[in-house]
Amino acid sequence: MAGTFGSFGIAMSGLRYSQVAIDVASNNVSNVGTEGYVRRRVVGESVASDANPGLWSRGTGIGDGVQVGGVNRMVDQLLDVRARKEHGTQSALNASLEIMNRIEAGLGEPGDKGINAALADFRASWQNLSNNPGNAAAREQVLASANTLVDTVRQQGSHLSSEESAVRQRLLVDVGEVNTLAADLAATNRSIAAAKLAGVEAGTLLDQRDRLAMSLSELTGGTATIRPDGGFDFAVGGVNLVTGRDAGTLDMVTGVNPDGTGDGNPVTFQITTSAGVTPLAGVAGSIGSQADAVDRVIPNYRAGLNDVITTLANEINTRHQGGFDLAGNPGGALFSFNPADPVGSLAVAITDGSLVAASSIAGGGLDGGNADLLATTSTVETSYQRLVAVFGTEVASAKRLAGNQAVLTAQIDNTRESLSGVSIDEEMVNLMAAQRSYEAASRVITTLDSVLDTLINRTGLVR
Amino acid sequence: MAIGRVTQNMMVRQSLSAIETNASRLAQSQEQLSTGRRLNRPSDSPGDTIAAMRVRGEQAALAQHTRNAEDGMGWLNQLDGALSSITSQVRRARDLALQGANEGMSSASAREALAVEVDQLRESLIATANSQYLGRPVFGGITAGASAYDASGAWVGQAGAVNRTIGNGVSIAVNVNGPDVFGVDGASLFDELESLSNSLRAGDTAGIQTSITELNTRQDAIITTQAGVGIRAKRVEQVLTDATSSDLSLTSRLSDLEDADLIKAAIDVKLQEVAYQSALATSARVLSNSLLDYLR
Repeated sequence: MAGTFGSFGIAMSGLRYSQVAIDVASNNVSNVGTEGYVRRRVVGESVASDANPGLWSRGTGIGDGVQVGGVNRMVDQLLDVRARKEHGTQSALNASLEIMNRIEAGLGEPGDKGINAALADFRASWQNLSNNPGNAAAREQVLASANTLVDTVRQQGSHLSSEESAVRQRLLVDVGEVNTLAADLAATNRSIAAAKLAGVEAGTLLDQRDRLAMSLSELTGGTATIRPDGGFDFAVGGVNLVTGRDAGTLDMVTGVNPDGTGDGNPVTFQITTSAGVTPLAGVAGSIGSQADAVDRVIPNYRAGLNDVITTLANEINTRHQGGFDLAGNPGGALFSFNPADPVGSLAVAITDGSLVAASSIAGGGLDGGNADLLATTSTVETSYQRLVAVFGTEVASAKRLAGNQAVLTAQIDNTRESLSGVSIDEEMVNLMAAQRSYEAASRVITTLDSVLDTLINRTGLVR
Repeated sequence: MAIGRVTQNMMVRQSLSAIETNASRLAQSQEQLSTGRRLNRPSDSPGDTIAAMRVRGEQAALAQHTRNAEDGMGWLNQLDGALSSITSQVRRARDLALQGANEGMSSASAREALAVEVDQLRESLIATANSQYLGRPVFGGITAGASAYDASGAWVGQAGAVNRTIGNGVSIAVNVNGPDVFGVDGASLFDELESLSNSLRAGDTAGIQTSITELNTRQDAIITTQAGVGIRAKRVEQVLTDATSSDLSLTSRLSDLEDADLIKAAIDVKLQEVAYQSALATSARVLSNSLLDYLR
């Protein structure tokens, strides 16, 4: 036995340990709704009196109570890596789906407000003119429906442009956020390293580190690797953005001007660190999807629409120039456009109804042959329909991909939550166990007190 | 999924996602039911979208072709009426010529009376040849003027076909150029009638006989033309009859492609409502429970 009052020390360690257990449970319960909080578990270890047997040691082999071995964060690094990867993919898919959904809504197809309907009206107005070549109202109607068609085309074009500039603005904001998060992560890394050196529990800092890495992964699709000092190195496209306590900056080199306008080039990125400037390939996450949208998705659709409009304008102009107006003179071009930007610059070149070339016979007369030719549908209709249908297929496929990924992401999140989440029931049980062990330890003290009372106050007394 | 540990957060998250999924399905069925449309954006079904756009195009073309055919029908009816009237007037002129030939030796005053009637017939025929449909002379070709023949019986029209497109790639001429039925200037019906009237006044029996032959030939030509007009009218009428049934079938095809099956959508809404309510109800029951309910 270690001494008369040694047993008090053992009981005291029980009280202290139970108090820590109560604190941990209460902290877990308090943080049940905190995002990124990982539940803690107290690990107790028994204190052996003869841990280091020596010549004069007087160990009894009973043990000297309990001590707190540590407070564990219940995480699985591998699961966290997986979760960051899946969240990165998910946010990339969601971002492109969101953009495509907005473009699709701007098409107005199928319906009676889209280009297809305007084109059908345009054709019908030619047919009406073909029936009444001498009718001034029918001539004006052709011009009016041509103007409606032009407006519809330009409206669709301006939807594309405004979506494009919205995505560019978003890119600027998101790149700025990446740099802020990277700086935060570097600062957190420094604090973690300092805490480790000082031997202080760094659980909260680790929670923050994980949360920052998750946000960075969602934005860039990058990967985090753990450092020996407990911090994270974060790499985007294989290039380190954050190395320990040093944060680099992610910049857009080309593609987007600082005021949010496009510079006509594809979007490219670079990372500037103290080690130098490294160009980046393979930025994923929502930033990658936004860059893809302004580089590929929107320009591709616009190019398709430009092709359709160029074909339409050239075909109508050729047919129109082959005919003769009311006075019997050869027709001019009906549409004018700038070949560099057909959708944005399409306009009706004629304002006078009598210049509409309805006749296929020179020298005046009420022939409607050319109007009939102009009313005939051509490959323009089918190629526009194909353009819309192909885009629709892309949107549908993006929806499916995002939906499938959501199932996977949810499953990973559940597995993570199952390990790291706080269960109130469990904490209640832990709390009660700690309460009981506290009560038991205090009962030990009471018992010891009465034992010593017997020894001190009653020993040797004869009644 | 093997989950040993289920936390409150997991249950909350799962309940939320189940409620959201059910609510979004409910909203989708609700959209179909309230818009009555199955196809609200291209990605709902890209294949059906392209078909729907095509059917809409066909429907518009059909409506236009029907309008064209109705307009063409007006032209052809006008032509038919004019040609009938012309036939009977030419027959009358021939009768007068026969009378003149029989009574060739009778009094000058009687021949004068015949000649006057022939002159009147000629004027009436010129008026009939100037028949208009919606302000355009039906025998004037593609002329911009208001008449096909001037007062002297000379053609002032412009040769050309007035076509109406009555189907994809099918167009039909709905006019008759004056010279094709009345003969070219110099040898036209009006010239023939003028020479008949002159022959009658002069008592030129040989001239009258020539006129009778000419009028016989002319009458045959007019009847042939009228038969041709009748055949064209028959074709246009056929198009008009077919258009009604084609329009019905296109409308029903478009409806198949675009419109929601209302009964199915209504049942779907009901089913999803039940699913939504049960998700809400189970969430309410499960989430309100914890060990705390049973601790003193």
